[in-house]
Amino acid sequence: MNPKLESDLYAQIGKLDSISTAPAILKPLLDLMRLPSEKISMEKVVELVSYDGAIAAQCLRLANSPLFGRRETETVRAAIMALGLERVRSVLFGLCMNRVIPQDKWVITPNAFWRHSLACALVTQQMAKRIEYTESEKAYLAGLLHDIGFLVNSVLYTEEFRECLRRAAEQHAPLHVIEEQVLGFTHCDSGRMLSEHWGLPKELVDAAGCHHNTSLLATAGPLACLVHLSDLLCRVSYLGYGYDEIMGVDLGGDAAWQILVPKYPALAGMDLVRFTLDIDGAMDEIVATVDSVFGSRKFATPAAT
Amino acid sequence: MTPDSNPGNPAYLKIRDLIYRISGIYHPEGKLYLLVSRCARRMIALGVTNPAEYLEHLTTRGNRDAELRLLLNEITIGETYMFRHPAQLEALRNVILPQILDTKGFIGLKRLRFWCAGCSTGEEPHTLAMFLLEEKDKLLAGWTFDILASDLNDNSLEAARAGIYGEYALRSTSEALRRKYFKEVGDKKLQANDLLKSQIRFERINLRDDTKMLFQKGMDVIFCCNVLIYFDLASKRRVVQHFHSNLVPGGYLMLGHAESLFQVDDSFRLVHFPGTTAYCKPAAALAGGGKK
Repeated sequence: MNPKLESDLYAQIGKLDSISTAPAILKPLLDLMRLPSEKISMEKVVELVSYDGAIAAQCLRLANSPLFGRRETETVRAAIMALGLERVRSVLFGLCMNRVIPQDKWVITPNAFWRHSLACALVTQQMAKRIEYTESEKAYLAGLLHDIGFLVNSVLYTEEFRECLRRAAEQHAPLHVIEEQVLGFTHCDSGRMLSEHWGLPKELVDAAGCHHNTSLLATAGPLACLVHLSDLLCRVSYLGYGYDEIMGVDLGGDAAWQILVPKYPALAGMDLVRFTLDIDGAMDEIVATVDSVFGSRKFATPAAT
Repeated sequence: MTPDSNPGNPAYLKIRDLIYRISGIYHPEGKLYLLVSRCARRMIALGVTNPAEYLEHLTTRGNRDAELRLLLNEITIGETYMFRHPAQLEALRNVILPQILDTKGFIGLKRLRFWCAGCSTGEEPHTLAMFLLEEKDKLLAGWTFDILASDLNDNSLEAARAGIYGEYALRSTSEALRRKYFKEVGDKKLQANDLLKSQIRFERINLRDDTKMLFQKGMDVIFCCNVLIYFDLASKRRVVQHFHSNLVPGGYLMLGHAESLFQVDDSFRLVHFPGTTAYCKPAAALAGGGKK
């Protein structure tokens, strides 16, 4: 990215706070999400959820959905118990983000975006566990947040970003490649700046900033590498950005894989076919969760919008 | 009495792991119910209701090899109908064939060779033939291809040669393709027409026959779905090594949906495509086949 564009983008991101209204609970929520799940206090989560009427209502709706087999959840506490703390955290985050992006500025539909983000969170966490990376909570979060650059691109460069998605879908090409051509930067660049602006920890900044940039992965650390691989796995499992990509991925030959293997030898002992089948099974739940929170509206093809 | 059908029964997990170890077929958590229903059929036949007891039939009883084979038959049943794996064909169309055409076109060789190893009653080679014929004026314009379809079983091979199929085999074949490549033969059955048949060369090949395997050279893509699962590890390794030398550099080996070559062979690269995986013989194979 050229320096002029970079400083412009920084300036724009500074303005993001005044353009969109990030819900008040976003900051405490981000703090909460960094904790391992056993350290999260139920009281704190109930407090956060109850703070925002619309979010509390969404949680109740989800807890009462057939997915969780509950029909009589009336209190926020009962809803959280039914959903489980981990799921509540992701749902909360999703709902907050949905508010950061005004409705008319969504380029990728919320449904497709959350399917991809939640799937990537889950896959990153599972992979972290398999390779004995100790901070699996952080891995989950890194996966969940990796595409926050979309938020910047959607709010600040709505029409250009729409054009990116249209072309990417038309060419069945990776979105970041088209972003580079149309915008001159990718959602990795804008994601890195936004996560720095929000004061997220360095590993999360790197995961958001480098997951499509293999030349930066070596210095970015293991989380960015894991997110890079998970992102690919989600995209070949039909949980990409809502359009069909043409791709063939040799994960074992991927730069991220090569960086991780010397440090995490368990990776080389992973049967990837088996891992992919395991993931495919878990994806069904993700799709059901997202559909129940954000509606099951199918992705409108970019050409038709 | 009906067999215990609770997938949470630890014996089923042990059966799952056994099947994975022996055959390479893996049932993830969400698909355990499938394994349970396949076991149920065998358990009913044996008069067994407890999965732990059935596990004994598979591991310690005298007839365990035969029982394992019968269970594998149940597991792979229903695998054979045409256009069973659209994701595999998409991978061929979008990535694999363009890659191969690129390499071969460059050296002026405009012929492609496919092999369906273990073609059973012919659904797979007929699907492939239809797919390739449909691409003849598009992706494959200016190219020719041949398809070798082999099986060990004479009866299966005879059925494959006859090319007569009922509704089950044709359930995913569009009306347009049925009209173009089949003719009615009564009894609600359709038979592959001469155009379709002429694309496929059927041959009896035992994949364990080293001499015969040595002769199948120059393959671009080999399909071998749910065949290796019946082989012990040593034979499986041998067959896969044969496939490796049968393929041209940059060629692909396609296995069944849940089959893995993990710890069987590492001379292929596993490639993920949307909804499917395949094994690629690296274009510039290093000495030693890239072994660790």
